Amino acid sequence: MTIDAEVKSLKQVPMFKDIDPTRLKLLAFTSERVSYRAGQRLFVQGDVADAAFVLLEGKVDVVLSDGGNQVKVAELGQNAILGEMGILSGMPRSATVVASEPSSALRIDRRVFLELLSQFPQMSLAIMRELARRLERTNAQLVRANG
Amino acid sequence: MDKSLFRYIWRFSRRDQLVIFAVVLVSLPFYYLSLDLPRRIVNEAIQGRAFQNGHETAPFLALSISWPAWIGGGETHLWGGLQLERLQLLYGLSFLFLFYVLVNGVFKYWINLAKGALGERMLRRLRFDLFSLALRFTPDTLRTVKSSEAATIIKDEVEPIGGFIGDAFIQPLLLGSQAATALTFILLQNVWLGLIAAAVVGVQFVVIPRMRRELLRLGRMRQIASRRLAGRIGEVIDGIEAVHVHNTSRWERAEIGRRLYELFDIRYRIYKRKFVVKFLNNLLAQMTPFFFYAVGGYFALRGRLDIGQLVAVIAAYRELPPPLKELIDWDQQRLDVQVKYDQVVGYFAAEKLRPVDEPAPAEQAAASLGSPLAIDDLTVFDVNGSAVIRSLSLRLDLPTHAALIGGGGPEASILARVLARREPVGGGEIRFGDRALGHLPAEVVGRRLAYAGPEPILFPGTLRDNILYGLRHEPLGDGPESGRTLELAEARRTGNPIDPIEASWVDLGHTGAADEEELDGQLLDMLRRLGLGPDLYRFGHAGLIDPERNPDLASQIVEARGKLREELAEQGMADYVEPFDPERYNTQATVAENLLFGVPRSRQLVGRALAEHEAIRQALAEAKLVDELVGMGARIAETMVELFRGLPPGHPLFEQFSFVHAEELVDFEEILKRFGLGQRRGGLSREDRTRLAALTMGYIEPRHRLGLLDDALRARLLEGRRLVRAALEAAGSNEIEFYDPETFNPAAPVRDNILFGRVNNTVAAARDEVRVASAKVIDELGLRAEVERVGLDHQVGPAGRLLTAAQRATVDLMRCLVKRPDLLVIDGAFSSFNDEQTAAALFVAVEACEGRSLAVVLPNEQHRQFFDVVVRFADGSVQVEREPGEAAERRVAAAAE
Repeated sequence: MTIDAEVKSLKQVPMFKDIDPTRLKLLAFTSERVSYRAGQRLFVQGDVADAAFVLLEGKVDVVLSDGGNQVKVAELGQNAILGEMGILSGMPRSATVVASEPSSALRIDRRVFLELLSQFPQMSLAIMRELARRLERTNAQLVRANG
Repeated sequence: MDKSLFRYIWRFSRRDQLVIFAVVLVSLPFYYLSLDLPRRIVNEAIQGRAFQNGHETAPFLALSISWPAWIGGGETHLWGGLQLERLQLLYGLSFLFLFYVLVNGVFKYWINLAKGALGERMLRRLRFDLFSLALRFTPDTLRTVKSSEAATIIKDEVEPIGGFIGDAFIQPLLLGSQAATALTFILLQNVWLGLIAAAVVGVQFVVIPRMRRELLRLGRMRQIASRRLAGRIGEVIDGIEAVHVHNTSRWERAEIGRRLYELFDIRYRIYKRKFVVKFLNNLLAQMTPFFFYAVGGYFALRGRLDIGQLVAVIAAYRELPPPLKELIDWDQQRLDVQVKYDQVVGYFAAEKLRPVDEPAPAEQAAASLGSPLAIDDLTVFDVNGSAVIRSLSLRLDLPTHAALIGGGGPEASILARVLARREPVGGGEIRFGDRALGHLPAEVVGRRLAYAGPEPILFPGTLRDNILYGLRHEPLGDGPESGRTLELAEARRTGNPIDPIEASWVDLGHTGAADEEELDGQLLDMLRRLGLGPDLYRFGHAGLIDPERNPDLASQIVEARGKLREELAEQGMADYVEPFDPERYNTQATVAENLLFGVPRSRQLVGRALAEHEAIRQALAEAKLVDELVGMGARIAETMVELFRGLPPGHPLFEQFSFVHAEELVDFEEILKRFGLGQRRGGLSREDRTRLAALTMGYIEPRHRLGLLDDALRARLLEGRRLVRAALEAAGSNEIEFYDPETFNPAAPVRDNILFGRVNNTVAAARDEVRVASAKVIDELGLRAEVERVGLDHQVGPAGRLLTAAQRATVDLMRCLVKRPDLLVIDGAFSSFNDEQTAAALFVAVEACEGRSLAVVLPNEQHRQFFDVVVRFADGSVQVEREPGEAAERRVAAAAE
């Protein structure tokens, strides 16, 4: 799989879909391609958020540990983005992510990502738009849940 | 050092000067004869005056002595010579001329060589003397001395002095006698003309040196200004970090700019002055002929001088200026050099130096420090002259372990420095047994006392060199004697040391180790306990081994290679490492690594240098890979231009990810334009092609993912690998150390030799897990200690800058421990340690000093349980707390903790 294929994957991620392809290519080039065996952890709850991941192949489980209990809260597949909130907010990982089958992901380093955001305002705007959309959605869900 | 340069030169080179002078004298008759012969060739042989009066033959090489008239005159014939015909005489005289020319040449060669050698020897002596003086600078002086200034004095400022020394005595004697002869000749012809000539010469010798005094003053200023410039540049470079941190490069530039202006200003004034003097000098020289024509002509017209005499006088006068001019030049040079010498000697003035350490008698030098340590009424002053310690009296039976606790003040640290003889005693006395500290010979201080201070001083070299530095007191054995005869003779002639630096200087006797291997074992043991084990392992892991010196370790590491492979396979991590295989392309390695299948011995042979390497280029051309690589490079360049164009130069992403430097991006845009043309012929220059091909050298497909390598190209690169190796071997090059699965590669670090492949970075966490597996294999084979031992060869860099502060402090402490001093003083050496390291270091020090004495300055009471005695300074008073017997028990308890 080459960078161009990765750029196609990145385009599928809502957060990145408005970003100029050249910038996405730079994002892909400065990211690492990493593969995981089934059962290998991408990151662990409570760790420092040092990278975001875009799942290129395979499936992962999102697991919350509460005391000694492990609760699987979600299953994500191709083109999902993981840990992006952490690298923006600087908060520790809120969940553990485990590969449930052999998978591969694009590891976007936090420092590089922020560097790109500060360099290219258009990228920041695209991210903000996506975050605003999410907020709106959450608000709508809240209203629905309360109403 | 002598105050006068001439006395210094004469003292050390008298014999050589006299020999050269004698040879110059001997050469003079030959010189005269070679001047006279052309006249004889013309007159006697060509014009045939020797054959007048019907002589068929003439004598050749006849030897006779004409006696001067005052002892009766006449001529004594020694040898009648050969009788030669006219043509034979011509040839005879011509060859004789040739002979004299050769003889003169040989004389000149010898004299120049002897003068040059004399100058160089004196320069060597002078430099060595100055360096010896620099080693004796007092602590007070060292506060103000700049290292780069001292370096520029010893290296540059004495250089012209060396050039002058060969001429110092010979030149004035020779030129003076020539000038005096010419002047006497003129005087003999006509007193008045002689007096005029003498007067002009007198003016030249009196007025011009006076005018030059200003020149000398300026010269002195210039010397000092340029020395300060060197000192300042050294300071800025040493403190470059502060310059960068505070972004003061603009101020530093302005400061240096001002200094350069001052230097220019002085030089400009020197030029103005110098050329005025030159003008006057020329004028005076030209005035004399004016007087000769006017006054001499007047005498000739009046009949008091005949025309022949006038012509002879003018001819003789022509002989006068050249030696005179050279003499004045010599004088100028003398003053110049004397000024330089005065400056240099002033820099190393006696009041700045400690007295010479006379070698002590053997039994005194070998003696240990006595007991007890008695401090009587000790007073110590600080730099400003106020007393820091006042009337301190203290008595400690040695050996003892004492803690000096300062309680916020400097007293404890000052006392520590005084005990280690780092600080002068202001009043009172310190005695070890019956000997005063101040009168201990340097040998005893060097061997029996050790001081680990807050600022460890490391020299460039390996960790081991630095740790063993304190044992280098004298050479043990003679070292290789052969081939050193000339070197030793020169050293003796110039007052240099004849100690062989090749010999071993490490005094094993003091360490208690039987041989170097055991010593290494001791060092490793202590370093581990000081917490440096993991660092040593890391250094050793990244270090190189010479398999010829260490064949066992090399073969064990090759063995570890196989073990690691098995270990990885066992743990299901086989795909974590892609091994180097002569028959396969290693996808995790760069294109260059795949082409070479080896490691360049020199770090320079990477990227561009590799693409430009003659043999490699030919091999690539033969493999028909050049077009391929250029095309690949163009694709890379294209991507780089596309991706990085929007980023400002110097952006961190450039440094980290781009194949191309920010400044080169524009170049590559141009090259790509030409590359576009290139497909329709014309366009790319050879330079462009090399630059493009060089880009591909660092390319790794799985990492960069530009889709440039397919199986076909990989196969061709493998073919290229074969041809590159053949070409390099054919060229007899040993620049590349090729990989071989069965042997150790000396150009690659231990780590790469064990791994013998590249970690697959696309597997998550592969690097860490492989490191763990590798460490496990090393432990299983019992190689950890060996790898750590390789770590002792780790280079510490200038002033130890490649180490952390804590590592430097550990090395300094080790340096003190390894020589097993009678008294070890530790003052601030732990400041860069954390609590755990401090406790470990104290424990190691206490244990290593069992049966010997230890004095440690502690900032607080925290670690006092390690010591027999606590000396507490508080509010100007001293309190001594003795805890005999209990300390040892507490120490055991602390160890158990």
